[in-house]
Amino acid sequence: MSRKRGLAAYCSALYAFLYVPLAVMTVFSFNDARRNVVWRGFTFKWYALLAKDAELIGATTTSLELAAAAAAISALLGVLAAYAMVRHKPFRGREAYGALLDAPLMIPEVALGVGLLSFLVRAGFELDFGALACAHALICLPYTVGAVRARLKSSAGERLEEAAMDLGASEWLAFVKITLPLLMPAIVSGCLLAFTVSFEDFVTSFFLAGIGLVTLPIKIYSMMKFGVTPEINALSTVLLTATFLLLGLNAWLAARSDARART
Amino acid sequence: MKALERALSWLLSGRRQTASHALLAPAVLWLLIFLVTPALGLVALSLARNGAYGDVVWSLGLRNYRRAFAPQFAPVLLRTVGFASATTALCLLLGYPLAYFLSFRAGRWRGALIIALMVPFWTSSLVAFYSWMIILGKEGLINAALMRFGFLSSPMGMLYTPFSVLLGLVYFYLPFTVLPLYGSLEKIPRQYVEAAYDLGAPRWAAFREVTLPLSLPGVIAGALLTFIPCLGDFLTAELLGGPRYYLLGNLISNQFLMAQDWPFGAALTSLLLAGMIAGLWLYRRWEPDA
Repeated sequence: MSRKRGLAAYCSALYAFLYVPLAVMTVFSFNDARRNVVWRGFTFKWYALLAKDAELIGATTTSLELAAAAAAISALLGVLAAYAMVRHKPFRGREAYGALLDAPLMIPEVALGVGLLSFLVRAGFELDFGALACAHALICLPYTVGAVRARLKSSAGERLEEAAMDLGASEWLAFVKITLPLLMPAIVSGCLLAFTVSFEDFVTSFFLAGIGLVTLPIKIYSMMKFGVTPEINALSTVLLTATFLLLGLNAWLAARSDARART
Repeated sequence: MKALERALSWLLSGRRQTASHALLAPAVLWLLIFLVTPALGLVALSLARNGAYGDVVWSLGLRNYRRAFAPQFAPVLLRTVGFASATTALCLLLGYPLAYFLSFRAGRWRGALIIALMVPFWTSSLVAFYSWMIILGKEGLINAALMRFGFLSSPMGMLYTPFSVLLGLVYFYLPFTVLPLYGSLEKIPRQYVEAAYDLGAPRWAAFREVTLPLSLPGVIAGALLTFIPCLGDFLTAELLGGPRYYLLGNLISNQFLMAQDWPFGAALTSLLLAGMIAGLWLYRRWEPDA
């Protein structure tokens, strides 16, 4: 019995190791002291300061637009690719395509960042919003492909699609009327994951954001260069909360679509 | 309209291989333009020479690779491999009991605990490392607490040391180790372990003779999936390493953003990519499912 307790206690300690830093940051974002980790009372003033910071609001807007663009592009590319990978009968090069689609997960972000930087600059492209959106779509692609591929493999859509075609529908009609609605939860989930990945991305953006393009993580980083301040605590807490909300929304949608599939 | 519908139906049906290739073409083109071309471009760039004003001179040679292994930079490569190895070893040691617990003991909490484990992966690592700066810094939480209770008279330097870099790496990569370990422990038929007990094996012997050997594919997969991304880590040392304890990723970044020696930076990146590909090849050979 004590051996079992010991293992459980050890695992709790490991989870504490993962979560305590995040909790500490959140708690001190409400601390009424400028340069101190001693508790001096509860305040919202650091959040109020954030809300007044025009640069910060600009960076947030940029990050939101970027994440939306990256999610949209990667969803479109991902749905088409995943459909061919799962539904089509085996074709030449399928293995290679699969490895290529997963490659953005494996390549170190620094390598991707400097590779794209040198490629875009030498090819004469501007390092602007469009370039960064394309790069973000690339790092998001494995997430949308993965979500849609998993759903295509598990859903009963294939039989329904065949039934529709037996009844005279074209492949296109069957896709639009049956497959796409069945895929919707996976597409939404893939978009949410892609949105999260893009919204939080620092390393790729760090190398590719030309002068004047500031995303939220880049803004946080440049603030961090001047040391630990309560404003960064508050800002990091906002980012953390956004992540939790996005992942929570994703989990809730997944649970709901599972429940629907069962009834 | 009818013609369009027929064309789209042909694409979706996949009766011809061309249709499959066409459906994959947008994603593959995207990957070729924004991933494969830049990577090949880096390899080409690594053979060039840096001009006097940070421009690129196309006189091909291996000088950048020789320079990478010269006494000035070899320590960074060694340090990177050292930190990646230490991180992998620590993650395995710390993570194995957790993976064991998740697989054999967690019961109905398993799903929630696994999701909870992924949090460091999904939260911005910028935010996570920033929290560690609050905890470890000179005016940070640990120093403040130790001084308050009289254990320290002056703050202890924990941030910007090898310790803080290793801590950050273990913090971030622990899930990369635990999930493959969990995967292979989960596949062990429970009857095997029970059979060992029935034959009179004590707990520890059953673990050593049955569970541990059967989980070795997961150990190898977990080690590689930790070691490979560790080699290319950039942010951990950037934030927690200070100016002294930088790794390969930071050296690469410096060549591109500060020193303006792109060919040398490209050579370092090519070495990193070669290491990654070698690691993935090993992983493919050892993959539990293969």
